[in-house]
Amino acid sequence: MNLPIREAAGVLIVSVSGRIDHTASEEFALALAPVLERCRQGASPVLLDFSAVDYISSAGLRVLMMASRQAKAQRGVLAIAALQPLVQEVFAISRFNLIVPCYASVDSACQVIAS
Amino acid sequence: MKRLGGPLLAVIRAGRGRAFPLLLLVAGALLLGRIENTALLAVREAQFDQYQRLMPRQRDSEPVVVVGIDSQSLLRHGQWPWPRDLLARLVDRIQAGQPLALGIDIVFAERDRYSPEVLADRLPGLPAEALAGLPDPDGQLAAGLAGHPTVLAVVGLDQPLPGSRQPARPLPVLTLDQRAASGLPHYAAALTSRPPLEKAAAGEGLINASPQRLQANDERGVLRSVPTLGLVNQMPFLSLPLEMVRQALGEHARVAPESGPGGMTAMRIGDYRVPTQADGELLLHFGPASSHYYLSAADVLAGVHPPELFAGRFAIVGFNSTGLQDRIVTPLGQSLPGIDIHVQVIESLLAGVALQRPYWMPWLELGALLLGGLLLVTVTPVLRPRYAVLAFAGLGVLLGGGGLLAFRHGGWLFDSASTLMLLSPVFMSLLANTLIAADGKRREAERQLQASREEAARVNGELGAARRIQMGLLPDPATRFAGDTRFAVAALLEPALAVGGDYYDCFMLDDKRLCLAIGDVSGKGIPASLFMAISKTLTGTLLRRQPDPGLALREIEDELNRENGECLFVTAFVAVVDVDSGLMEYVCAGHDAPILLRRGQASRVDTADIGGPPLCAAGDYPYRAGSLQLQPGDLLCLFTDGVTEARADGEMFGIERLMQLTTAVDRTELPAAVASLRDAVRDFEAGRPPADDLTLLLLRWNGTAV
Repeated sequence: MNLPIREAAGVLIVSVSGRIDHTASEEFALALAPVLERCRQGASPVLLDFSAVDYISSAGLRVLMMASRQAKAQRGVLAIAALQPLVQEVFAISRFNLIVPCYASVDSACQVIAS
Repeated sequence: MKRLGGPLLAVIRAGRGRAFPLLLLVAGALLLGRIENTALLAVREAQFDQYQRLMPRQRDSEPVVVVGIDSQSLLRHGQWPWPRDLLARLVDRIQAGQPLALGIDIVFAERDRYSPEVLADRLPGLPAEALAGLPDPDGQLAAGLAGHPTVLAVVGLDQPLPGSRQPARPLPVLTLDQRAASGLPHYAAALTSRPPLEKAAAGEGLINASPQRLQANDERGVLRSVPTLGLVNQMPFLSLPLEMVRQALGEHARVAPESGPGGMTAMRIGDYRVPTQADGELLLHFGPASSHYYLSAADVLAGVHPPELFAGRFAIVGFNSTGLQDRIVTPLGQSLPGIDIHVQVIESLLAGVALQRPYWMPWLELGALLLGGLLLVTVTPVLRPRYAVLAFAGLGVLLGGGGLLAFRHGGWLFDSASTLMLLSPVFMSLLANTLIAADGKRREAERQLQASREEAARVNGELGAARRIQMGLLPDPATRFAGDTRFAVAALLEPALAVGGDYYDCFMLDDKRLCLAIGDVSGKGIPASLFMAISKTLTGTLLRRQPDPGLALREIEDELNRENGECLFVTAFVAVVDVDSGLMEYVCAGHDAPILLRRGQASRVDTADIGGPPLCAAGDYPYRAGSLQLQPGDLLCLFTDGVTEARADGEMFGIERLMQLTTAVDRTELPAAVASLRDAVRDFEAGRPPADDLTLLLLRWNGTAV
């Protein structure tokens, strides 16, 4: 899985795309690993841009949960922005906004976490 | 075997399999340069002979007539040597027909036995008058020779023998450069005819047939070349047949040997020219033998043939008898009298045809060897073995065909056989390396395949074990609640092939409290199955102990978190129903809200306020319980995302479709309702393998009134 990274206002913005189902979740975890290494205290906050994610399964959620745990252990900041309605619904059912901070858009997320 | 094979393989494989073949190529090039001293020479000669057999020289005309002293002649005129007056008669018979030139392949070194002086010595008593009246046979022969273009034979000798002399009739004028002269045969002396005969004859020609070659070459007997020119004490003599042509052309015919960097290249006599080797040897292109042009000396003496037979043709007198002749074997494999060589030489000169192997031919062969070798070294390692073999075969056809074509179109002798034989070890080494590499790759591939099979078997075994744990834990509601009229429960779990950790549970906490649970463990394999087993057990245990489902859920999460090295989490919906009153308390941990069907209307159980994240996802979430009063006839449908997220062509089954279908099974017996919902999902997937476990748990509460 290819995760293009751009930087804006001191935030590492990682563009995630496609369906993160059981098959893709392993690839997603592998691709996310180097980004998470950089998500540490004092380093740039990491924002996952989910605007192009069509679907996420429980396996995908588990990757996010483990990412969140790693970021917390490293005292880094990890957040997700721009969920599509279907993904938003999955997040709502599983209350994942309690686990990873979610924002409506990339801009609004940057304003909050950049500071 | 291994001890021997190791270093050998290392040698073959050195330098990516190219070092050893290159070494072989260099050795081959050195060998080709010294081929005269190797057994390969036999291969070369055999090849060139084969060319001649395939394409012998065409003999269209017969410009030479051989008058052979054969068995019939000996029978009629007595033993050899014949008295020379008899030979003089023979010569006269031939000269009467005015041949272009007459060659006599016989050396008359001594006096005739019947000459008066010899007779006087042997028979001292003979009266002088009688002797004076006797004919002089030598004189008669000399008279027969004189005045005609006649050539006598001369045998060049390396060492002076008793009776050997310097022949009297060398070439009158000859310009010969030093390089050409050095390669020619040099003789110290010669065996010649008596001076009166020499004087009478117009010329003398050498009849030596490559004496050095025959001594040096162990392959005796096959005559491939003859000298064109030799020097007896620095005086030049043509070979007998060439001298005959010169005599036929007359006094003005110039003899001009042509030379190149390596020595002689051709012999030119008058307007006739024939290519030669550097040492002046003529590589004969033999034509098939024929007996047409052989006449018996006895017949000629008897006047059987008209004299005109000799007109405009060359005539040679020589031996053609089993007892006397020297026989040679030609490359065509035919055994011929030596005299036939003279005939073939004359024909070759007149037609300008001879085989050619100029000084640059060995360089061309070396070039072909090196070029072919480098081509093989470059190409073979990157080709599959079968194509490599084809490439080598192609190279062989190219070289062999080239050799044949060169022979056909100019008599060029290109040694393709030796070149190919020297290329063979190079190619075999390259091919061996390719095969060794291919074999190694195949073994490695087999090893990997085996490893992946073992891995697959291991994973399958693990998944199978996980599946057995998962399925073994599921209760059968039909037997568990048999006979209870207050409610009905039906459940179904269909596992997907690879992943999934769904589970459901249904049991009585006491005589009126029914507990329903459905869950989905993230992750797969044994860890997920064990996690599910623990979750299920804890749910049962803690719910019996803790009446508030919300609090019970918190305790379950605490317990699960104790041993969760895999960071698994589980979504769950747990309901506790008082089957007497219809009051339902429920908790939701990140699970899809169940569907409630009441009087034909489908809705979702409200989990918005009380729902929390999946168990073990966030940690320490204060789960609370919600409550719902069931009406008699209400149908509750618990499901996992294996239902709503079943896929077909980019579309998902979805909650709307499930709610609609639930409406349709409002009045159906529960086991049939569950099956019908499952069928709807499978129809939707249209044969695709399911991606996730599919779990359905239905409850219909009948109420106390029934």
